[in-house]
Amino acid sequence: MEKKWLKMALTAALTLGSLAACSSGEETSKTVEGKGEKITYWAPFSGADGPRMKAIVEDYNTSQDKYEVDFQIVPQSDYYKTVDLAFSGQGNSPDVLVMHTDQLKNYADKNLLKDLNDTIENTGMKESDYSETAWSAGNIGDKQYSIPLDIHPLVMYYNKDLFTAAGLDPEQPPTNREEFLAAANKLTDSSKNQYGFVVPTLWPNQFIFPTILFQNGGELMKDGKPNYNSPEAVEALSFYSDLIHKEKVSPENVQQDGEVTLFLQGKNAMHLNGPWMMEQWDKAGINYGVAPVPQLGTKQQAVYANGHNFVIPASVTDSKKLDGITDFLKFAAENTMEWAKSGQAPASKAIYEQNEEFKAMKQQPIVASEFEYAKFAPVVANWGQLSEPLWAEVNLALLGKKDPKQALEDANKKAEQVLNK
Amino acid sequence: MTKSSWKSKLTSSLFVIPYLLLFIVFLLIPIGYGAWMSLHNWDLLNPVHEFVGLKNYQKIFDPNSYLNDLFFEGLKNTAQFVVYSVPVLVAVGLGLALLVNTLPGKIRGIFRTVYFIPYAVSVSVVAIIWLWLLDTNSGLINQYLQKLNVPIIPWLTDLPWAWISLVKATLWWTIGFNMVIFINALNDVSEELYEAGSLDGASRWQRFIHITLPSIKPTMLFVVITSTIASFNIYGQPYLMTRGGPGTETKVLLMNIVDEAFKQRQLGNAAAMSLLMALIMITISIVQFRISNRKE
Repeated sequence: MEKKWLKMALTAALTLGSLAACSSGEETSKTVEGKGEKITYWAPFSGADGPRMKAIVEDYNTSQDKYEVDFQIVPQSDYYKTVDLAFSGQGNSPDVLVMHTDQLKNYADKNLLKDLNDTIENTGMKESDYSETAWSAGNIGDKQYSIPLDIHPLVMYYNKDLFTAAGLDPEQPPTNREEFLAAANKLTDSSKNQYGFVVPTLWPNQFIFPTILFQNGGELMKDGKPNYNSPEAVEALSFYSDLIHKEKVSPENVQQDGEVTLFLQGKNAMHLNGPWMMEQWDKAGINYGVAPVPQLGTKQQAVYANGHNFVIPASVTDSKKLDGITDFLKFAAENTMEWAKSGQAPASKAIYEQNEEFKAMKQQPIVASEFEYAKFAPVVANWGQLSEPLWAEVNLALLGKKDPKQALEDANKKAEQVLNK
Repeated sequence: MTKSSWKSKLTSSLFVIPYLLLFIVFLLIPIGYGAWMSLHNWDLLNPVHEFVGLKNYQKIFDPNSYLNDLFFEGLKNTAQFVVYSVPVLVAVGLGLALLVNTLPGKIRGIFRTVYFIPYAVSVSVVAIIWLWLLDTNSGLINQYLQKLNVPIIPWLTDLPWAWISLVKATLWWTIGFNMVIFINALNDVSEELYEAGSLDGASRWQRFIHITLPSIKPTMLFVVITSTIASFNIYGQPYLMTRGGPGTETKVLLMNIVDEAFKQRQLGNAAAMSLLMALIMITISIVQFRISNRKE
């Protein structure tokens, strides 16, 4: 009899436990309780950058006692689902949240974000305090929807040991197409399974392909229509796929993250990726250098980027709350050194132009040096879905299954179909 | 009616209630809600959901709509996976069960556990393990192939290898479940039948075909149907291992439905696609059930 009860209790406990596990997706930072106006703040920083942001919020909370910021991390993979549900009124809504630059348009179009022009003036925050590239990304249809936190453009990582071994100067990474090809050829030794530049066939081509295209002077969208098959795009993809099939500075059939693995093993000399990779290289103890992306295109220097921005839902109208939010954002702009430690470059000039500690860092000033010519995704609703065919076709071209021109024609056709739903 | 039967009825109802509650809350209500959604133009960011009747379903069957491609290309890829994986999942599951059952008592327990362990692991872990093993340029398997002077294989970026890899990873992950079910069924087959068979001079193979297989037929049907349903629901393995590549060749239906729901934010379309997918799965299960019952 006793055993029976034990079993039942166990079963009940297990059931309850598994139910409770479903709801533990959100992590809350508990700071000093019960003081000031409460401001709920959401961000997708479930990686190494989470603790950095948490520290900024805690500093803010202890620096004053009028407001209390409640910082909640929603895992990256569920972030926009959770945000969407909040906006559609089916869940708790934050008072301020972080949004990626390429998502702003989706929410601005539906009038879900607050025009910050009035609130900004009250606090003395101004455009000139931020990188112009970052600030203007939040300007859609003459309204200012966001305050930038950072820009994360593509950067080049390279293995200094491999450079030295190949007789190249590890302090002089390539800056243009010719130098890049020359270095990549020197660094390639396929008998040792070592390559100059391993070309990924999936992610992060979402950053790399637009970079080369922009450097060719091309555009992803033109007059609101996909423009994937422009001569500039065909040139960019042909150059990119030639690295594998003609120059042979990259192995064929690189799988998801295959180029990262080879870089970690010291068999990939040059690697293009986002600034968030820094901590991974540091942990692995590679002797790596960071440089701006070389000008691989034929016309101009440019780099594809995304960014983190602060936005306020349109539904937040309580003036006391709004004061608190802007007060916090102002504090954040001046105190994002902590944020820089995760490898990112904050878009606030107080940091990237004036802070000496920042300028002495290895990677972050290089990221900031790309701000001037960084370009974001086209400002169009649902860029995610619209660009999906492009990545699939770029994948086929890089795997050698399709001619670059044909691939881009097909991508364009499919994207037009999505647009004309 | 006696008191005890009333009591036993109550007890049995009590046993059903927890399941019934969970079934209603987590299945019946969401399905009903999904069906309701599928009749609306349901944009996640739009507070107004316009009633459109069966228009979302019409779009799926309209060749000019992108939904048509999304649904039928996804379905084609999912169906391929089902066709490749189910026979392997059933055959290997049964094979392992037979092998493990011939082992002496103690070792049998060890092997049963070892084969079952991967089943307890989450799909992301499975994907990472197999990504490392199958990496074209630095994976363990291709390293061995190189040592043997065999040309390396693009496991995840070329066909048919991508499908083979996905089936292989799924097999490693879930085979323990089918194996355990088969072991239980095999243990229930009466020893007397085998004894009688041997006395009549039936060989091992003949005993397997004429005694084992007919005896475990209900279990076989159960395993075939659950494996089919599980394979239809494939999502995590291609999402994490091939990302749908090469191109969109391994982009399965569920990946497309999730994209439509949360990237495009069109919950109405996504709900219609899910319901159609469910209908297809139900139809296939019924057909499987009918076919195996007719042979009786």
